[in-house]
Amino acid sequence: MQHIAERYTGASVRRSEDPRILTGSGRYVDDVRLPGMLHAAFVRSPVAHARITRIDVREAAKAPGVVLVLTGEELERSLVPGPGIAAMFSGGAPVPAFTTLATGKVRVVGDPVVLVVAESRYLAEDACELVEVDYEELPAVMTPQAARDPASPAIFEDLGSNVLVRSPVAVFGDVDGAFARADRIVRADLRQHRHQNAPMECRGVVCSFDPESGELTVHSATQGVHIVRTTLSTALGLPPEKVRVLAGDIGGSFGLKLGAYREDVACAAASRQLSRPVRWMEDRLENLTFSGQAREESFEVAAAVTNEGEILGLRVKMTIDTGAYPGMGTMLPELVKTMIPGPYKIGALSFEWTAVVTNKAAYVAYRGPWASETWVRERMVDLIAMELGMEPIQVRLRNVATRETPPRRMVTGRSLAGVTAKESLEAIASTVDLPSFRRLQAGAREHGRYLGLGMATYIEPAPGPLEGKGGGGIMGPEQIRLRLAEDGTVTLFTSQMPHGQSHQTTFAQIAADEFGVPIEQVRVVVGDSDLVPMGFGTGGSRAATMAGGASLHGARALKARVKEIASHLFEAGAEDIELSGGSVAVRGVPASAMSLAELARAARSPGRLPPSLAGDVEVTAAFDGGEGGWSGGSHAAIVEVDVETGQVRVERYVVAEDCGILINPAIVEGQVRGGVAQGIGAVLLERSVYDEETGQYLSSTFMDYVLATACEIPRIEIEHLETVPLDADVNFRGVGEGGMIIAPPTLCNAIEDALSPFGARVLEQHLPPARILELIGAIPAG
Amino acid sequence: MTCFDVELTVNGAPRRGSVEARRTLADFLREDLGLTGTHLGCEHGVCGACTVLVDGEPARSCLMLAVQARGADVRTVEGLAPDGEMNRLQEAMWDSHGFQCGFCTPGFLMQITALLAENPGPTEAEVREALSGNICRCTGYESIVNGVLLAADAAGSDE
Ligand code: FES
Ligand code: FES
Repeated sequence: MQHIAERYTGASVRRSEDPRILTGSGRYVDDVRLPGMLHAAFVRSPVAHARITRIDVREAAKAPGVVLVLTGEELERSLVPGPGIAAMFSGGAPVPAFTTLATGKVRVVGDPVVLVVAESRYLAEDACELVEVDYEELPAVMTPQAARDPASPAIFEDLGSNVLVRSPVAVFGDVDGAFARADRIVRADLRQHRHQNAPMECRGVVCSFDPESGELTVHSATQGVHIVRTTLSTALGLPPEKVRVLAGDIGGSFGLKLGAYREDVACAAASRQLSRPVRWMEDRLENLTFSGQAREESFEVAAAVTNEGEILGLRVKMTIDTGAYPGMGTMLPELVKTMIPGPYKIGALSFEWTAVVTNKAAYVAYRGPWASETWVRERMVDLIAMELGMEPIQVRLRNVATRETPPRRMVTGRSLAGVTAKESLEAIASTVDLPSFRRLQAGAREHGRYLGLGMATYIEPAPGPLEGKGGGGIMGPEQIRLRLAEDGTVTLFTSQMPHGQSHQTTFAQIAADEFGVPIEQVRVVVGDSDLVPMGFGTGGSRAATMAGGASLHGARALKARVKEIASHLFEAGAEDIELSGGSVAVRGVPASAMSLAELARAARSPGRLPPSLAGDVEVTAAFDGGEGGWSGGSHAAIVEVDVETGQVRVERYVVAEDCGILINPAIVEGQVRGGVAQGIGAVLLERSVYDEETGQYLSSTFMDYVLATACEIPRIEIEHLETVPLDADVNFRGVGEGGMIIAPPTLCNAIEDALSPFGARVLEQHLPPARILELIGAIPAG
Repeated sequence: MTCFDVELTVNGAPRRGSVEARRTLADFLREDLGLTGTHLGCEHGVCGACTVLVDGEPARSCLMLAVQARGADVRTVEGLAPDGEMNRLQEAMWDSHGFQCGFCTPGFLMQITALLAENPGPTEAEVREALSGNICRCTGYESIVNGVLLAADAAGSDE
C-alpha cells in the first residue's frame, strides 16, 4: 500500500531504502569485494598502561599468506605526523602526541601495536598470534581521582599530567545573590557511567591505492565522507583530490563513525605500500574494547531554591573522563555549560569543568553527546521536589520559560524562542493522568508493589534559534546539488551520510513536493566524496533542518532554472511557465507541453539556449539554517520495581515531542523510539566496566555489555506538537538524538519515585538490579 | 590446512565448496558463495544478525561451521524474494517502517520466518519472546513487532 498523498511532506511515505535492505541487497562496507583484496588484523595491547620493550615480528612475517607486517615505527615513516582528527574535536584543548600504531608505550587495552596484512582474515589473525611483544607494565590510571593525583604516571609524557583541562569558573547572572536569597540549598553529587555506541555494524574500511594514478579509493563505514578524506589525505600526505571516499549502507553509528580512525590510516598506508586493496573489518571484541566509549562524567551540584520551588541558581562542577586518546571529551563540557539551564528560567549559574586522561578507550560522541546537562538538571528538579515535598511536575511548570512570558533567553545567552516545554509537560501529565496514577500507586504500595512515575523535559539545539545570524551553526551552511537528468528525473546530491536516518526518503519527499514530480522520480545520492558537495556529513541532529532546508531551496532553484530554460525554448516569460506532472507548458496553452526529459535533452542540444543556460540542467544551493529553532519535548515513564529481585519493568512510556513540522511521521517516531530504547538500556543494562586495579576491560562481549531486546522495551506512545514556525519555509527540526537525551532522566526519576518509601535518592544513572537492592537497603552499598 | 568438501542446498539451489574445518557457515555464505545479505554483528552468538534457516530451524551462522551444514537445506535472506518480488513479510516490514540501518534485518527476517511457519498467528507477547535473541540497536523494536503482526494478519486474511 503505497501512500498516496497530496503532499509527500508530512506523510509516512514508505522508505526508498527498504527494497534493498529487506532483500539482503544492501551494500555495507563488509560486502565490498575488490580484486586482489588483502585482509588486515591488528595485534593489540593486552594491558592498559605499559612501555613496549621489544617487538618481534619475524615468525609472523613468515607465516602462511602473510604479505605485510608493520610495527608502529615502520608505519610512521610513511605518514605525516600530526594530531589528525583529534585536533578537530578537541575544542581547543591540548592534543597530546601519539602515533597511529602505538610506539614506545600502550595506553589502553586494545591499543593497536602491529598491523598484519594477509590473504585472508583467518591467516592474518593466525599471524597476529605469532607476534611477540614485551611490555613493562606501568600503574593503570583508571579513575578521575587517580588521574588528579600528581603522583600518577603521566599517560602522555608531553602533557606532563593526567589533568588535561581545568577550566576557569564561568559565571552567568548573580550567583552569590541567588544563593544568599535562597530558602534552601539542595546538593547532590551525580554520576553518569561509561556507555558505548555499539552500532550493530562495527567499524570497517577497504582502502585501495592505485599506483598508476596515485589515487587512493576508500570504502568506509562513516557518517561523513569528507572528514574521512581530510583525515586520510592529511595523514598520508596526499592531496585531498587524490583521495576518494565512498560509503554505502551503514549499519548504525550513533556518533562513533566520525572521520578516519587510526586503523583506517594504517590500512590506507598499507594499501599504498602494497599497491593492493586492504580491508579491515573490526570485530565486536575490538569494537567494545577499543573503538570508543561515552558519557562518563560526574557532577557536584548545588541548587539555590525557594520554599515555593523556584530555582534561583545552580553551581556546577563537572569532571569528564576522556579516556586514553583524544576523542570529543574536551569539546563537550562547554556545550554542557551552555545547555544546562535548558528550557528553565534559572537566573544564575556558575560552571567549571575538569577533563582528565585515563587508561580507558577514548571518549567519543554518542547520540546527544552533551546529554548530561539534561540528566543532571532533570535529576536535580526531582531531588528539589523531594526536599520540598512537591510534585516534580509542579517544580518544572513553575520554572520553565513559557512562550508568553519573559525571560526568553537562557542565563547562558541562548534564545528560548519557540520553546514548548510547558505544552509538552502538560501533554504528558494529562496522558498519564497524574492524580489517578497517585491513587493507583498508593493502593499498590499497600500490597507491596512499588510503582513509580517519572517525567523529564529537554530542549535540543537542532539547530536552535539562529536569531537572524544564519551561518548554519558550528558546522556551517549545508550545500546541495540537484540535476535534472535526461530521463526527466531529479538527482539530488547531499553531503549527508545517512546510517539509518532514511534521508534517501525524506529529502526526496521535500524535493518532490517543491519541484512537483512524483517521489519515485527523485533519486538521492550520498556517499561519494567526488560527487556530493563538501560537508560535515550526518551528525548533531542537523539533517532535518539543514539538509531538509537545502533540499527545499535546491528544488526551488532547480524549478526556477527549468522555468528559465522553458521560457527561452517557448519564447514566453518565465512567470508564464507552469511545471506540473513531469512536464512544462506555457500557462493556458496545454499544447505547448514539453516533458522534463525533453527539456533536459534540449538544454544539451547545441545552439538552443544561451551559453549561461546550455548544458546540464543543474543547480547548487546552500542553506544556512534560516531561523532555526529548538527541538524538544517531555517524556514520562511508569515503572514497577520488584523489591525482592531489584528488577525494573517499564510499564508505560509516554512522549510529547516537538520537532517542528514532521517530514515523515513514521521516520520521526522510529528515531524517537530508537533513542528511548537506548536510554532505557543505558539505565537498566549497559555499562562499560573496567577493573580499576589492572585496567582490564570487563565488558568486551554482548554477554557483558548487555543491550536491550524486544522483551525490555515497551510500546512507546508518542504525541507530536508541531508548533511555532519560526522560518518562512523550513521548520523541520532534528529529532535523532532527543530520545537518548531524555530517556535516562525520565527513567531514573520514575525509579526514584517508585522507591520513595525507602527514602532512596538516585545519584547515578546506571540502575541494574544490584544497585536497586542497594538503594532500598536490602544489600550493603558496594 | 586440510580442506573438506561441503555440498548443501542454499535457497533451493545445490552449492558446493571446499573449506577448512574452522570456516564458519557465515563466512562460507558471505565469502565463498557471495551471499552478503547475511550479516555479522558479534560473531559470538548473541546478536542474531547472522541468523539463517538450517533445515527450517533458525541457526546462528557465526557459531556454526560450514562443514556442519553438509547436506543441509539452508535459507538466507536472499531466498525470501527470489524473483525480486518481496514476500508478505518483507512487504509488511516495508509498510511498518520496520527497520532503520538494516544491519540487524536479515537475522530478524529469518527468525520471524521460522516463527510464522510454526505459529502463523502469534500474539504480541509471543512475537517479543520469539525475537528476544535478536538485537536491533536502531528501532526500539516496536516497528519490527508491528511488521510481524501485520504480516501475520495479512496471512490470516488470505486464508
Ligand atoms: S553475528 Fe552471529 S549472533 Fe551475532
Ligand atoms: S535497524 Fe539498525 S540495528 Fe536494527
